[in-house]
Amino acid sequence: MSVEQNTDLVPLKVHGVLVDPNTDTQIVILRDENNADVLPIWVGTAEGTSIRLALEDVVPPRPMSHDLITSLSTHLGMKISQVVVTDVQNNTYYATVHVSVNGLERTVDSRPSDAIALALRAKCPIYVTQDVLKRRAGDNLEAWLAKLDPKESGSSET
Amino acid sequence: MITQMNVRGLLFDPYNNAYIVILRDEQNSDMLPIWVGKSEASAISFALENVAPPRPMTHDLMKSILDNVDAKVLSAVVTDLKDNTYYAKIHLWYGDSEYSIDSRPSDAIALALRADAPIFTREEVLQKQSSEELERWLENLKPEDFGKFET
Repeated sequence: MSVEQNTDLVPLKVHGVLVDPNTDTQIVILRDENNADVLPIWVGTAEGTSIRLALEDVVPPRPMSHDLITSLSTHLGMKISQVVVTDVQNNTYYATVHVSVNGLERTVDSRPSDAIALALRAKCPIYVTQDVLKRRAGDNLEAWLAKLDPKESGSSET
Repeated sequence: MITQMNVRGLLFDPYNNAYIVILRDEQNSDMLPIWVGKSEASAISFALENVAPPRPMTHDLMKSILDNVDAKVLSAVVTDLKDNTYYAKIHLWYGDSEYSIDSRPSDAIALALRADAPIFTREEVLQKQSSEELERWLENLKPEDFGKFET
């Protein structure tokens, strides 16, 4: 990763996973380290569940899909070094997973949900570009979050 | 001994609100039904129907990470059945070595279909799985219960 790129990246933490009771989808809440910016990303049920399990450090009896990717990477000597939310277009977020192998880093196109599920398992940083953070969808986010019943917030809210 | 299996299709099990992947050997003499979750079923059905979704699904990402380092999926093998849970292994070729990695059969099948890799099952697994219960279950199925992925 180059220095120019890095200055443009903001590190994010996964704050929790909310369940949207109206649409049966889940929302991953990412926050920057000062809790100044929030990036909510809508994800599918399976991906939301996978992120939640990783947040809670739950090891399921059999490997889930993202556990399998982590295990494939480890077996082949690859390291998932970072994931980056790189773009948002028509309310769809784009991400890349950075995989380093033999000192070479490669980037693989991914949905943010998969990227985050992998980052939590690989314990690697999650970044978003300044640009995406500025253009993030959800002008009405604060209003929407305010309406959410805390009871619906899911047990992984931290 | 191992037997090569083909994915014959996916059925919806309305009683358990789950999906069943039907594997059959080439002579259609043996059948292995494997219950899978909804998201794994949709990952398998996309591959069966050759649908490329607009964004990579989880198993597409898995494949593209492997492609990126020139790791090749050699096969997926259903290796065991214990307490109603099937076990599988994914065999990979990377560098100059073979690797085998523990997996759920659903993930192994979803990946093998994307990599055009063969799917096998150990014969003990075929012997262990009693198809009696399945046959009874199939007899009660109405044609409309069959998913559109049955081939």
